[in-house]
Amino acid sequence: MDSTKQYWKGLDERNNSTEFVEKNKHEFAESLPIEDVLQEAGLSSPTPRRDFLKTMGFGLGAVSLAACTVSPTKKSVPYLIKPEEVTAGIPNYYTSSFKGASILVKTREGRPIKVEGNPACTINSGSLDAQAQASVLDLYDTAKLKTPLLNGVEHPWEDIDAYAKAGLAKAQAAGKTIAIVTSTVNSPSAKAVISSFTAKYPATKHVAYDAISYSGIINANKNSFGKAVLPQYKFNKANVIVSFGADFLGSWISPLQYTKQYVSNRNATSLKSKKMSRHIQFETGLSLTGTKADSRIALKPSEEGIALVNLYAELSGQATSAKLNNAIAEKAIKLVAKELSAAKGTALVVSGSNDEHTQILVNAINSLLGSYGTTIDLDNPSYQYTGNEADFMALVAQMKTGSVGAVLFLDSNPAYNYCDAKGFIDALAKVATKISFSDKNDETASLCDAVAINHNYLEAWGDSNPVEGYYSIIQPTINPVYNSRQAEESLLLWSDSTVKDYYTFVKANWEATVLPFAGKTWNDVLQLGFVSLPAKATSPITFSGDVNATIAIVISESKKNTAGIELHLYNSVALGDGKQGNNPFLQELPDGVSKVTWDNYAALNPKYAQKLGISEFDLVTLKSDTYAIDLPVLFQPGQAHETVSVALGYGRQKVGKVGDGVGKNAYPFLATNAAVTITKIEGYYELAQTQTHHSFEGRDIIREATFAEYLENPSHGSGNHGEKHKTYDLWKKFEQPGHNWVMAIDLNACTGCGACIVACNAENNVPVVGKDEVVRRREMHWIRIDRYYSYNEENKSITEEKEIGEIEGKMENVSVVHQPMMCQHCEHAPCETVCPVLATVHSSEGINHMAYNRCVGTRYCANNCPYKVRRFNWFNYWNDSRFDNYLNNEFTQLALNPDVTTRFRGVMEKCSMCIQRIQAGKLKAKIDKTTLKDGDVKMACQQTCPANAIIFGDANDPESEVSIALKDERVYYVLEELNVQPGVGYMTKITNTGLHEA
Amino acid sequence: MSSHNESILREPLITGKNITYARITEEVLWPVENKPNKAWWIGFIVAAMGASLWLVAVGYTFWNGIGSWGLNKTVGWAWDITGFVWWVGIGHAGTLISAVLLLFRQNWRNSINRSAEAMTIFAVICAATYVVSHMGRPWLAYWPLPLPNQFGSLWVNFNSPLVWDVFAISTYFSVSLVFWYVGLLPDIATIRDRATGLRRRIYSIMSFGWTGSVKTWQRFEIVSLVLAGVSTPLVLSVHTIVSMDFATSVIPGWHTTIFPPYFVAGAIFSGFAMVQTLLLITRKVLGLENYITMFHIESMNKIIVLTGSIVGVAYLTELFIAWYSGAEYEQYAFLNRISGPYWWAYAIMMTCNVITPQLFWFEKIRTHIGISWILSIIVNIGMWFERFVIIVTSLHRDYLPSSWVMFYPTWVDISIFIGSIGVFFTLFLLFIRVLPSVAMAEVRLLVKTSSEQAKLKLLQEGKLKAEEAEFYKESLGKYDSVEQGAYANV
Repeated sequence: MDSTKQYWKGLDERNNSTEFVEKNKHEFAESLPIEDVLQEAGLSSPTPRRDFLKTMGFGLGAVSLAACTVSPTKKSVPYLIKPEEVTAGIPNYYTSSFKGASILVKTREGRPIKVEGNPACTINSGSLDAQAQASVLDLYDTAKLKTPLLNGVEHPWEDIDAYAKAGLAKAQAAGKTIAIVTSTVNSPSAKAVISSFTAKYPATKHVAYDAISYSGIINANKNSFGKAVLPQYKFNKANVIVSFGADFLGSWISPLQYTKQYVSNRNATSLKSKKMSRHIQFETGLSLTGTKADSRIALKPSEEGIALVNLYAELSGQATSAKLNNAIAEKAIKLVAKELSAAKGTALVVSGSNDEHTQILVNAINSLLGSYGTTIDLDNPSYQYTGNEADFMALVAQMKTGSVGAVLFLDSNPAYNYCDAKGFIDALAKVATKISFSDKNDETASLCDAVAINHNYLEAWGDSNPVEGYYSIIQPTINPVYNSRQAEESLLLWSDSTVKDYYTFVKANWEATVLPFAGKTWNDVLQLGFVSLPAKATSPITFSGDVNATIAIVISESKKNTAGIELHLYNSVALGDGKQGNNPFLQELPDGVSKVTWDNYAALNPKYAQKLGISEFDLVTLKSDTYAIDLPVLFQPGQAHETVSVALGYGRQKVGKVGDGVGKNAYPFLATNAAVTITKIEGYYELAQTQTHHSFEGRDIIREATFAEYLENPSHGSGNHGEKHKTYDLWKKFEQPGHNWVMAIDLNACTGCGACIVACNAENNVPVVGKDEVVRRREMHWIRIDRYYSYNEENKSITEEKEIGEIEGKMENVSVVHQPMMCQHCEHAPCETVCPVLATVHSSEGINHMAYNRCVGTRYCANNCPYKVRRFNWFNYWNDSRFDNYLNNEFTQLALNPDVTTRFRGVMEKCSMCIQRIQAGKLKAKIDKTTLKDGDVKMACQQTCPANAIIFGDANDPESEVSIALKDERVYYVLEELNVQPGVGYMTKITNTGLHEA
Repeated sequence: MSSHNESILREPLITGKNITYARITEEVLWPVENKPNKAWWIGFIVAAMGASLWLVAVGYTFWNGIGSWGLNKTVGWAWDITGFVWWVGIGHAGTLISAVLLLFRQNWRNSINRSAEAMTIFAVICAATYVVSHMGRPWLAYWPLPLPNQFGSLWVNFNSPLVWDVFAISTYFSVSLVFWYVGLLPDIATIRDRATGLRRRIYSIMSFGWTGSVKTWQRFEIVSLVLAGVSTPLVLSVHTIVSMDFATSVIPGWHTTIFPPYFVAGAIFSGFAMVQTLLLITRKVLGLENYITMFHIESMNKIIVLTGSIVGVAYLTELFIAWYSGAEYEQYAFLNRISGPYWWAYAIMMTCNVITPQLFWFEKIRTHIGISWILSIIVNIGMWFERFVIIVTSLHRDYLPSSWVMFYPTWVDISIFIGSIGVFFTLFLLFIRVLPSVAMAEVRLLVKTSSEQAKLKLLQEGKLKAEEAEFYKESLGKYDSVEQGAYANV
């Protein structure tokens, strides 16, 4: 149907007027003002179109400008011409030596970042102590002087040389002594330099003096055998070791070497062959060595001499009138004498005393036991310490009279570590020409007119001869960072030597002396790092001292010291004599026994302190006749009653920002002997301990057995009855087709020295947080050594807190276990399941990974870790001026390992099993088209461990060292009952008791 | 309607004479439509100062790092997660009141559900601030959410209880917010209708075009029921999941299967205590005695004594199981709670949560406003210590004694906690100024049936059994808002 309807929109359309028709022709009824807009009129309107563009343009520009911040400029210098031997990203290793022992220095892009022991070295066999591990940081010490100083002002070397030469010539002309004061010099080349210097200036006197002196032994050997030397001790040949206060595993003469020897008679291999040495320690304070002893008897320092007299009497059958006022020690001496005489030829008695007469007595005892030629080698002596404080004392006296014209200090700092520093400083003022070769303006250097700054050992050429027949080389691994000059070179220059450069001198010296005997070339030596000549044959040795006279002197000496509280001074394992006081790694390395960082303290037996009315962390004044210091008190179980122990090496005043004012200087106490008074003063000073609970509460985490029990059943106490702890899985186990990295730790080998901690710090850029943060329990160490005391009281071993509180005995008899603890890389890791963002995950190689970039920092993983090994970055340690220890400084940052990232604030970190080393090892094997062999990859902690207590490797390789180690009957896993299936196995601690009745 | 009268045996839910719909509106909206009084200003200034303290302390933490707190290598959570769990727990009463009691047709909830739900939302906000601020890198706080991303599409760890927590808390917050807001719609519409100018526009937008038609009311009822159904499981699930943060771990003292029910009971316990703390003040300050009556106070006190007893049983069960298990570490953890260095925290927890709430068995005490208020505060203190005991005393001495430490809070820890209370009260005080603190629409439902005047009318009509009437009159004795004289002659 058609529609005829019409619709119209309006009347206009209906009418269809012409006007409407006209309008409807165009799209718009009225014409748009386009022309106007495009013409001038458009520009004069309130919002002209050009303004729109302008505004847009300005807005965009302003926004982009505002969005711009100055992006940080990082300046780097590319290799325009690449040095042939340097490939970015690939480390180079150079041989050098530290304290005489050969080391390998790892350098990256021309900067040394890590040192390792030289595996071929006969002294360290590839291991190193904490101080050597930390020594890289000394190169990047911000406290070092940049140019030499003359009268406290920076001067060019010409001025120093002119001043030195004039001063030396004047002294020589006036007939006054020129003294070169050094610590022990066992470098053949340095000795040659000094003798050529002496040739030029005949008035020269070389005085070697060590802060920690062993002259007592040297003099005693001269007296007893006519040989003024420090012998080499052979702890590996000793079946019975009796030590009177000698901390030979921690700080005595050559602890690295002794640890190796000692452990070789007590480690898994030795136990397998049913052999274990017996070690009895008589000492005052609890030393690292004391913690490892099978039997330990607390003794006052004054009793040591008497004890030795008694021991001599027992062994020789002579009667003695000297009686020990200590029933336990008296009984022990009798038993020890029996054991020693039964082990003649394999016995060794050592004493930590620096008293000549005591050492003569020890010589007499060792002679009776036939130790010479077996456990003591006098024919191949040690040159590690040759200083003699008597010489220095004489020099100070001479200086006082004004007859010393010039004095040069090389590697020596008597203003800090000489017992009569005040007397020395007064005497030094009377010397006209005073030159120090220190690399910083330290206590002595600041008293000198000139500081001819010396190279760090990593910048220097040199050599050393630490023991007879062993010569090692020191070669530079970096160009001198500052305008320093090697001290030996300065001496050569000042003596107008024909050879001006020390490299040539060392090389010529070696070519003339050592190399012909060794049959090696100079290049061989640079590559090998050392040469070892065959040992000299031992000659029969007869004791020719006067024992009875010595005994009389020893008895009368010990009677002198009995008044008041006896002071026992010792070297801490971390800081030693204090030379490396500005080293943050060492300052934050917990003491192996007390776990204290960043301080020395007055160690008192808790029971004795109670008697004195002193609580832990009270401040006390220790006062001798001539010197007094205020120290906080630490309760040290095992400390002999009526004694107090204080570590030397603290209280530096001019060592640098890190070490200044840390602890108190105890060296002046060496001047007077022994007795001090203790007065409690106002104040409380909390020591920064990394462990504050000291007993293991009888928990199954520590497993022990006696040697007798071990012989009966090797798995005694380990809970390991021939089969692995049964584990359960809810889910199918993940395949581990490639490697399965695991570790084995021998509790019997570990001495708790802490070298692993520093090695780990240096390898993994672990932050140093400082004293206050350690007090807040926030140290960042990835590996720690848990140390637990158990008290042998009331005829049982007491480990539980509630029982310890009720001990009525003297708390002198403690047993100690060291347990290295790091991430256990659990197969069922509790940390992995709880991380909300998968920042910590398991690898197919059995490693628990940590992806720092993914971590948001909920800390749930750390809470859920049964081993509490995870460490949280509470602050931005590498960019926060409050933590100016090492990471925050651009210069010190050069020591960082570029293979390991520094961690940002707010992320978790922990032991990665040196993942960068594993990766590097795998990469190398891939490039070499081989497979990774056992031992190709070593963990930093494992590599440096002098006791070989840590073994790392692939559990999928049945032949690997670690697989074999983990099959040991002694192996157990800490907290294995939680079924977290840890990847680190521990071996029980075995004690060779027999004297517990004592 | 007379045939639908509520039994005279039931106590009135609202009191007062001449209660009309208009009067309810007037009284409830008084604080919204008038300038705030002095009491409000004092409260608000104090609360705002607290909130500023929170800003300062959290700002300090963000600037310097979590190191400004007292945490350490062994105790990785302390005041932060204690505060978090405490706040989440407090939130639970609101949901319980609004959802569970609605489903069970407990009409007395009508007077208190609004404030309780508001409290829930603010408490969850406070809890959420802890979630973010305790992170080491709070600027990455969105990473625990399963968002599509370009990190090779890195997913979250669905095994982690913290991820469950993220889901639980976010669900809880969003459902509570929706439920609360839907309930607010008719009341917002009432304000809109009475307001003028800009206020009218704002409330108009906020009311989502509420018309008040029968259909609207019908849909409103249905949505409320549906949301109540959705919320009810949340009352149980949220704190169950929070408890799993601990229960699924390996730490002795945390690794406990009893945690889910124990945490839920504790949450309701603390939530009712907080409602009590708030409403006892609010009813006085805002003059809402007729709507929030002694009946409410007493009912909540009864719930407090019930949940407090459940919590007490849980504490004892934990101790028994620790002893009975023979597990060395478990035993030590509980021995350490009781007699270790933090024994005082355990003692405070036991006293405040188990012993003092038992006083509510006495009617005199549970109907005494002052004592109820003090006890509610004590319960809140006790519940804070419960979480502190669980978190800190379990962590500070776990498996390896070498890592045992003590925890000491810093000024930042304390300021953030006090500050979070400030934030909570700031929000709450703002809430009672702009929105009705009592659900008017729902209270109006009670006028005809459950109000005092309705019952009085019944009494006056005299058609009741004498003993029932007597019983009713006796029960009115505890009401502070009832003129007792009026019943002398009826």
